[in-house]
Amino acid sequence: MTTPAQERLGRLLALVPWVAAHDGPTVEEVCRRFGLTEKQLHADLELLFVCGVHPFTPDTLIDVDVADGRVWIRFAEWFRRPLRLTAPEGLALVSAASTLLAVPGSDPDGALGRALAKLQGVLGVGADDALDVQLAPVAPGVLEAVRDATERRRVVEIDYYSFGRDDTSTRAVQPWRVVNAAGQWYLEGFCEAVADRRLFRVDRITGVRVLDRAAPPPPAASGPPPTFDPSPDDPLVVLDLTPEVAWIAGQYPNEGVEARPGGVTRVRLRSGGRAWLERLLLRAGPHALVVEGDGGVGSAAAARLLARYVDR
Amino acid sequence: MPARLERLVNLTAALLDAGRPLTRDELRRRVGGYSDDPSAFRRNFERDKDLLRQMGMPVTTEPLDPDRPDVVGYRIRRDDYELPDPGLDDDELAALRLATSAVRLEGAGEALATALRKLAAAPPAGGGPTAELPVDERAATVFGAVAERRRIRFSYRGADRLVDPWRMSYRNGQWYLSGHDHGRADSRLYRLDRVEGPVEVVGEPGAFVRPDDAERGPAKPWQIGDDEAVVVDLLVDEPQARFAEEQLGADTVVERRAGGAVRFAVPATNLAALRTFVLGLLDHAEVLGPPQARADMVAWLSALAAPAVAGDRAQ
Repeated sequence: MTTPAQERLGRLLALVPWVAAHDGPTVEEVCRRFGLTEKQLHADLELLFVCGVHPFTPDTLIDVDVADGRVWIRFAEWFRRPLRLTAPEGLALVSAASTLLAVPGSDPDGALGRALAKLQGVLGVGADDALDVQLAPVAPGVLEAVRDATERRRVVEIDYYSFGRDDTSTRAVQPWRVVNAAGQWYLEGFCEAVADRRLFRVDRITGVRVLDRAAPPPPAASGPPPTFDPSPDDPLVVLDLTPEVAWIAGQYPNEGVEARPGGVTRVRLRSGGRAWLERLLLRAGPHALVVEGDGGVGSAAAARLLARYVDR
Repeated sequence: MPARLERLVNLTAALLDAGRPLTRDELRRRVGGYSDDPSAFRRNFERDKDLLRQMGMPVTTEPLDPDRPDVVGYRIRRDDYELPDPGLDDDELAALRLATSAVRLEGAGEALATALRKLAAAPPAGGGPTAELPVDERAATVFGAVAERRRIRFSYRGADRLVDPWRMSYRNGQWYLSGHDHGRADSRLYRLDRVEGPVEVVGEPGAFVRPDDAERGPAKPWQIGDDEAVVVDLLVDEPQARFAEEQLGADTVVERRAGGAVRFAVPATNLAALRTFVLGLLDHAEVLGPPQARADMVAWLSALAAPAVAGDRAQ
């Protein structure tokens, strides 16, 4: 989106005020703060030599000095402050800080909390909290325990409610990382029971014990953070959804969405287990038609739930 | 590129230095580096001006003479250009930089890097994120309008909305906006991913005062809706009781039964969303009341259990 000219102009307009406001910072520090190589910095400084305002006499040109590994910039009064933060920049900073502060155990009065308050003040979203971030609730202690086990590389034993099977089992996990994605907390690791990588939702961990047993280091982090990725071996389910429940196509990971005549949305999904499919079909209710897959699952589940209501 | 870059730095300086709006030709003389050919100059000047505006520079276009509205000049007012010094201490800047490494913002990586640069903080370090959340262009537009207290216009549920944006909240993996809806003369809550099309900022900054008690965003999906407010009496059995309590909030618990089942009183204005939540608990939950809510659940399940009589299934 940003062109090379914008990128470099943006860099210059950030660098000049900072160097000018400091009395000869070292080349090294300028490079570190602005993510530059020395060569890039020298190229930027050379360009500044010939910049200024009309009539470009010595007193209207930016003055740049490099000596003994230090840099001075003077006569750059037009650029005494950096350009204000754009809306995307402001949102990025404020939401990153707010998110980290929403992690249980973070200190709202610490350095990050103070930094956020100062930034919000500058952006005009100050004291009255015009932006806030909440992450999914988790049981006290559980998140701390799995994060602690991950950090110390300890095998952790969890009692885990399986959403796909609607039952709880205990398993030992070598933790790789704990991450919040789309508001939910996940533990990713190597499940010793199935001898494979698994992703666990922290809010479905009903009990946790950090074992006194070292876990091997996680494989090198690769690619984006984990999300639920149903296996291609899982049974395929194809549903036709009426507009009332078309949201399902956007909410569930799927292998394709197709608009059909009559406002119907056809979605192809990989079933994450019988209980998973039951929930999906129960939620869609009479507004989904099973085109492919076990169509009897939904009505059987509905009949089972209904028994609770009619028997009393 | 160096020649153009030099010209862009000089153009920015000239616009900031201008005590009054400068015409295109004045800028051409003052900045230098433009072509002698008038049409090539015009084209390049327009491109330069667009580039500066895309970067967020407040380049204004102002008429110079009230009698001749076609003669315009340009300048940048310093107060609108300059980032006020937030006065961040070294440890605060370091904490902020660390936060930008720990939180991965989908769609805003570039904005994060340029923001840190304006604060003279080193670029974010690598490393695995602790959290990730989506930050798209629409969210950024809304945030800018919230910050500047400017009115916005967008389409939502098929209707055109003119809204004073009060607050943005991230809940359940979604961004929400609360604000005053002028068409409905009432406060409303919107899910940003359900806004249809672009969000347009209309009008001037400081157009309204953000009320102190403005909603902070929905705690729960079943509280976002226009249904008549009801309190649903819900029983959840032991295997899912703890999970349900986390989701519904401890303040909704009315009874803890022997054996671990928990009874909840759940305030709701969106019964469809509450039904979706309850059905997710499978056999472990039952809507006890009020009678209408229970009857709705029975009707929903009956239609699915006996599809032949449902009638409105998708064809």
